[in-house]
Amino acid sequence: MAEATSPDLAVPALCILGDFTIFAAADLKPKIIEAINQGETDEVVIDLADVSEIDSAGLQLMVMAMREGAAQSKNVRFTRHSEPVLNLIDLFGLSGFFGTPALAGSTH
Amino acid sequence: MNLDDALNTFVIESRELLESMEEALLRVEQSPHDEDLINAIFRAAHTIKGSAGLFGLDHVVAFTHNAENVLDSVRSGELEIDGDLVALFLQVCDHMGSLVANVAEGKEFGEDIRQRSDELTAQLKGQMTAHQSAGAAGAPAEASSSAASSEHVAVPAGGGEGGAAHAETDNWHISMRFGKDVLKNGMDPASFIRYLTTFGRIVNIVTLLDEIPRAAEMDPEDCYLGFEISYRTDADKAAIESAFEFVQDDARIRIVPPHSKIGDYLDLIREMPETEMRLGEILVRCGTLTENELDAALLAQQAADASSEAHQPLGTVLVAEQMVSPTVVQAALQKQKQVKETKGGDASMIRVNADKLDEHINLIGELIIASASIDLTALKSGNPELLEAASVMKRLVENVRDSALQLRMVQIGATFNKFQRVVRDVSREIGKDIRLEISGAETELDKTVVEKIGDPLTHLVRNSMDHGIEPVDVRLARGKPPHGTLRLNAYHDSGAIAIEVIDDGGGLNKERILAKALERGLVKPEQMLSDDEIHKLIFEPGFSTAEQINNLSGRGVGMDVVRRNIRDLRGSIDIDTEEGVGTTMRIRLPLTLAIIDGFLVGVGGSSFVVPLEMVVECVELSQEEIDAAHGRQHLNLRGEVLPFIRLKELFDIADAPPPAIDADADSPFGLQLESGRDDLPPVDEELAFLLQPVRRENVVVVNYAGHRAGLVVDTLQGEYQTVIRPLGAVFSGIEGISGFTILGTGQVALILDVPGLVRRVASKESRVNARAASYVMRE
Amino acid sequence: MTNQTTSVLNASASGAGLPAGAGMDAEQQQYLTFNLGEEMFAIGILSIREIIEFGNLTEVPMVPPFIRGVINLRGAVVPVIDLSVRFARPPCEVTKRTCIVIIETVDAEGGQKQQMGIVVDAVSEVLEIPASEIEPPPQFGARIRIDFISGMGKVNGKFVVLLDVNKILSIEEVAVVAAMNRAEEASPA
Repeated sequence: MAEATSPDLAVPALCILGDFTIFAAADLKPKIIEAINQGETDEVVIDLADVSEIDSAGLQLMVMAMREGAAQSKNVRFTRHSEPVLNLIDLFGLSGFFGTPALAGSTH
Repeated sequence: MNLDDALNTFVIESRELLESMEEALLRVEQSPHDEDLINAIFRAAHTIKGSAGLFGLDHVVAFTHNAENVLDSVRSGELEIDGDLVALFLQVCDHMGSLVANVAEGKEFGEDIRQRSDELTAQLKGQMTAHQSAGAAGAPAEASSSAASSEHVAVPAGGGEGGAAHAETDNWHISMRFGKDVLKNGMDPASFIRYLTTFGRIVNIVTLLDEIPRAAEMDPEDCYLGFEISYRTDADKAAIESAFEFVQDDARIRIVPPHSKIGDYLDLIREMPETEMRLGEILVRCGTLTENELDAALLAQQAADASSEAHQPLGTVLVAEQMVSPTVVQAALQKQKQVKETKGGDASMIRVNADKLDEHINLIGELIIASASIDLTALKSGNPELLEAASVMKRLVENVRDSALQLRMVQIGATFNKFQRVVRDVSREIGKDIRLEISGAETELDKTVVEKIGDPLTHLVRNSMDHGIEPVDVRLARGKPPHGTLRLNAYHDSGAIAIEVIDDGGGLNKERILAKALERGLVKPEQMLSDDEIHKLIFEPGFSTAEQINNLSGRGVGMDVVRRNIRDLRGSIDIDTEEGVGTTMRIRLPLTLAIIDGFLVGVGGSSFVVPLEMVVECVELSQEEIDAAHGRQHLNLRGEVLPFIRLKELFDIADAPPPAIDADADSPFGLQLESGRDDLPPVDEELAFLLQPVRRENVVVVNYAGHRAGLVVDTLQGEYQTVIRPLGAVFSGIEGISGFTILGTGQVALILDVPGLVRRVASKESRVNARAASYVMRE
Repeated sequence: MTNQTTSVLNASASGAGLPAGAGMDAEQQQYLTFNLGEEMFAIGILSIREIIEFGNLTEVPMVPPFIRGVINLRGAVVPVIDLSVRFARPPCEVTKRTCIVIIETVDAEGGQKQQMGIVVDAVSEVLEIPASEIEPPPQFGARIRIDFISGMGKVNGKFVVLLDVNKILSIEEVAVVAAMNRAEEASPA
């Protein structure tokens, strides 16, 4: 969660605003894929600072994004996770998966 | 998949549940050992908690959880129901109501609400500790599942049969695989996990992302998640299962209690879609199994596979002998029963929007008019086949009407039951011991009527409690039992429903009412009033006899509103009272507001409909009787005095003109039938007989609210099924007419409002009398 | 019918004097003229639903005389008002030409629609009266309450009284109970 506070100067390819839930999932999926496809550098940054709400559907899209990036040999990185995003990741014990290396593999 | 809809359903259902909870609480006070009641209370709290969890209403969940704990102790017989506990739970029930109201308004929970939650939670916890210290020596037979299974820990692990050994962990293991449609169905797996955290701790969680497909194949609205959770809680299996009550059909959930046999984990591993090794590792990662336990389990698994014959019975035996403690079985059985009950309920009930029902009833109204018109045409044609077909159709239409109206019928019991609480609370507040008795709860009436009768009833009940029932000392002095009795009664009576509020209090005091009315200028000193008229003065605006003004009913608002509300429903209210003995307030209402059976009468050239349920009989008014009445408006009906109203006079209707009579220029309405004129088309045949010279008049004897009156009319035209058309803005408020209807001929007829007519005549007469009286006095 | 040739542009320059709710559209220039006794009146055709033959009227007792009764209009019960009585003239005599004009009024506040019929001696024709040909109501002399008049239309050199039906037939004006209360207040008894 250090990442949320550390300044991140990378220019995001996509900022997800507001609802990152089942209600927005159908709209967001193509946008995320497009952001990854169009990313010209190795790194695709997705900004989550303004996500006001996230549910399992949103989280699934995050996983999808990371895997899609990996398939294209790009590093998809989420930055500035908003409070709800962090809470959900924590609840699901996925802090490791989403890039806090120290906690990888376990939430202990 | 509209969340608002779902939330709305939650609010509606929660309110219903709270209502039944309150009702059960009030009844359980009388019969503290009624298991059905206790279960009903528990179920209500439990279901609300479960649904609240779905919506992430953590505060509701947390609060309700504590209530549920206490109720669980009651259910298991560890805690006795008493007045205090009921009082506490009534408050809890109220508070849950305000929580739900908050949710309904979409508000955040405010500080005051949270504070109230804390207060009540503290009290609930107080109940629990009190009982725990008292029940430490309680019956061990009912010991909790964890206690029961802890015995098994003593069995050495790694014995001869790997599957029979017990895991060391103190934690529950929960395995979840959500179905594809969970999210679309408005549920979020995260909510379930969050909910688990409200009554336990997630020791470890592994989220399974394996099923999420490649981007191209992924449907962003499908759910692909699975979870393995190691969970620590004192709750029992049923409580944990309840977390998943709403997702049962959409997910595979397995809950393995602490210290289960390795074989059970094995079953779990076998059941889940992941490969055995992978899931085994996950269990280890979760901390549910140790590496050793897993190895033992997998070994046992191989052994079992090798002798697959032995495998089946082994599994069965394991479950039967070991895994489940009696409480768990009981909980599971009850759970099953519950699920069955809900399922059954779902299948036989449909929620229908009331508007749709109204529209349906309106259409049936049109159908009735159309059918009447066909009937009439058939009669005119004289074609026997057509007549036959028309009469069959008429009968069917009547059946359809009845069944449609039946759809709107609800029992009044639910409305009555709300007063248990009112009476209980108010009697405490005003320091009187008042008991409520309910009878006729199964009496049915139209939903719209039920909805509108609540407020007037509340006023009447409170009025009776405040002013009717005397303080204890007065009661004792009068030789009455110290506790007052208030009775709500309902019954069907000649096509109307009568609802009574009966108290055994002091009765209405005529002198006091009269004095007050004089003081308020509601009556003049010279006015002669019957007892009944005096009693009804309490319904006049601005009237109040309360010597002590209190916050309930002393301000004289209310009783006039009561009467107005009831009149708006085409009803009436009567008072039977005897000083020192008690008062009965009797409301009479039509069963439905949409369609009535009418009795068609002709006066002059006009047709009127009298509600059939009010018609007692019809008699001819002979010339002798008219003579004998000497101009007075009553006649002798088999020895009884029957006051009558001449509709023709009251309505200023000209005699149906035998051809070409000059228009009565004096008629204030300047309206005449045009039938005599040559330049107009001939009058409809159907009406022609109305225009015949009338020799004898008829009296329709009507009965309403125990009174009889005669309506003098020219012709009797028989029964007629009538769809009520509202008066509309132009005619609204007019006294004596309650609505319109359309006859088979297409002509509009007026529906008479008999009580209104009588009121009209009576007030006219009393004005005349008052004038005469004041004239005498001046002389 | 010289007025019919007047251009639409003139009409758009309308202003005061048009009935409440009158739009700028050309249609509002059209008025139905009819006779009450000897006088000619007109109503904007936008308010008019239909015109039916007089008949099958059911009287309603105990209501003020300006309400002639109710009719069944395809299943709906519609009150019928006698404008002559409303204007303090003798009631309409029923002849072969007597008609009921069904009017839909709009309640000023709630926007609630209400259908009502008015009895007229005879309907004559639909005229176009451009706004330029409409004068404001006279302060007196029309023998009708000023607020019932929306304007005076010039037709062939004669004036036609344009009626404001939303006002004349407003619920406040025609509701039975309100009217009877007014009558009671007015009468000293």
